[in-house]
Amino acid sequence: MSDVDLIIDEWESTDVSLLETLDHVLSRGLVIAGEITISVADIDLIFVGLNVLVSSVETAHEVLRRRETE
Amino acid sequence: MKLYAYCLCAGLDSFDNSVSGVSGATVRVLKIEDVSVLVSDCEVVAATQENMLAHAAVVRSVCTRTTPVPFRFGTLATEPQFRSFITGNKVAIANKLAHLAGCVEMDLKTVWQSSNSAPALPDPPAGPGTAFLREKRRELLGDESPAAQRAELSGLLSEELGDLVKEEKISLGASEKSPATKVFHLVEASKIKAYREKVQKLREKRPELQLEVSGPWPPYSFANIELELSHGSE
Repeated sequence: MSDVDLIIDEWESTDVSLLETLDHVLSRGLVIAGEITISVADIDLIFVGLNVLVSSVETAHEVLRRRETE
Repeated sequence: MKLYAYCLCAGLDSFDNSVSGVSGATVRVLKIEDVSVLVSDCEVVAATQENMLAHAAVVRSVCTRTTPVPFRFGTLATEPQFRSFITGNKVAIANKLAHLAGCVEMDLKTVWQSSNSAPALPDPPAGPGTAFLREKRRELLGDESPAAQRAELSGLLSEELGDLVKEEKISLGASEKSPATKVFHLVEASKIKAYREKVQKLREKRPELQLEVSGPWPPYSFANIELELSHGSE
């Protein structure tokens, strides 16, 4: 078996847990600075910045308004 | 029209559409200079388990062809914004792709306790939402944790694994609720088997570490392009 076959076999045979998968996609990965909007049960949440600030849209808008007036 | 982004990668010209994206959308390759971005047309993405798993499945599906730099779930931007981000961070992205090429992430969990850890001061009382965010903040901003504890654990692990690990990140167990320390290792894909064998040896030698290994993962924990990121996105 070649190295490439072994690697493909590793990926295909890996049994990863649901919890760990969700942890990876939600807590890690490349973040573009700026604004990302997602919704949970039709309520928008906004992630701002390089790391995580999770807030309601209303609170985020309030923070942005305060920054603009400062 | 916004685009939902799954990952950046090099040398990928097409996507095998046997895997659907978030909300069942078709995934396509957006080429920007030498970088391929896997995207779907999407205005808003619901934070459902199904969509999170679809994100993970798309990223994972290219792992045998290239090394993806995964985006965090929920990354939506317009095509000009992606173009601006990639052209504005060209060097950093090229370096990141080169650094991760041919590598996977292997994760270790341990209930290891530092021999010189001081008990942490309790947090002031807070609701469940605040407590959750505090814990996430501690996990993400690992640099708040004492460097000495990380160095101690890193030293223990490197006895066996050192020569197989290209990069290491440690997130110390933050609380009684979450005592497990997580260690993320960037390992060459061709060395996964050797890595597992060495973890097994370490388990036998140091059973008190109670090591659990998972992976291979796409390199989620090594994806962020620190510092350089702020320039291209403004």
